[in-house]
Amino acid sequence: MPSDVHPSRAALVISRLPSFSGLDAATLEAVARAASSRHYDAGQVIYLEGEPATALYVLETGWVKATRMTPDGREQALTFLRPVDIFGDIAVFTGTSYPGTVVALEDVEAWAIDGATFLDLTARYPQLALACIRRLAERVLYFIGLVEDLSLRSVETRLASTLLKHAEAREGRLIVPRRSWTTFDEMAVRLGTVRDVLSRALHTLEDEAYSRWNATKSPCSIRRDWRSAARSDLRHDKSRIHGAGPSVSSYRMDPLLVCRR
Amino acid sequence: MMSPEADPTVDEQLRDGILQALALDPRTLALDIRVGVLSGFAHLAGKVPSLELRTLTERIVSSVPGVRGVANRIEAPGAPSPARTVHLSPRDEWSPSRHE
Repeated sequence: MPSDVHPSRAALVISRLPSFSGLDAATLEAVARAASSRHYDAGQVIYLEGEPATALYVLETGWVKATRMTPDGREQALTFLRPVDIFGDIAVFTGTSYPGTVVALEDVEAWAIDGATFLDLTARYPQLALACIRRLAERVLYFIGLVEDLSLRSVETRLASTLLKHAEAREGRLIVPRRSWTTFDEMAVRLGTVRDVLSRALHTLEDEAYSRWNATKSPCSIRRDWRSAARSDLRHDKSRIHGAGPSVSSYRMDPLLVCRR
Repeated sequence: MMSPEADPTVDEQLRDGILQALALDPRTLALDIRVGVLSGFAHLAGKVPSLELRTLTERIVSSVPGVRGVANRIEAPGAPSPARTVHLSPRDEWSPSRHE
């Protein structure tokens, strides 16, 4: 769809990108005019690893995941993105093929911007170039964290960390909202492991949490409830992982929960 | 085992070879198949009208010299959902495996 139809909508979406919020109207307008709207059904491939990088994308609605295949044919998650975010930019800037495969996890609305046009715009609008540098720098930090996670942290730690990272305090309880696509397999991909190891990690985490909390006489009943509920809900594919706890901060402050002895 | 270094030129040539192989077969010529190649692994996507064409496409791609494996995400009636099948070439030093 030509962007002329909805340039203001595209500009609005692009302005909601955290690194792009400071762009002036003229820059936003120029980028928006280069954008074309795209729709992807859940499960549809947006681009493949090793495919020529012809465009970058601004995600308006829906989640996507970026993965890369390992030498043994396993899918390793690079990142999960939710609106509003940008992807495909790394390959456009490096002039290489896409380094990962991006798949729509749910119905997705996005704006595609031709790579060559975007590079031209960054040369003409310094503010846009700075915004891209900010976003790329954030991504470098993210991938440093991912390398650290995959090389230094156990699956149990990564599992607990992921659950806690997504926990929200609701009505005095900790809840980890689960999307319809968060299956056991998807979770294994996210944690860089396989189903069996993830299953063992859940057991290990629970067992260790039990003994540790009992020994320290910390409020184990609260945490034991959280552990049991988390495990139970994952197994039975329910819609939410419930947690019982006084606040998010109390969990974030408890390293015992996420560290393997 | 370490992954071989990705060589953009080799991957690009391999991709051209795959596209050519698909274009040379009258059964796949008109199909809208997307192809990516990274480190010798071919990644396929698109939509075809039958499972047979999905399998045929994968077989043609696998037979292109230099292809180390195929990740098949082509959508077809009856294909696994999410449509992703991975075949590693037995010629490769990695052990062959299959994941749905």
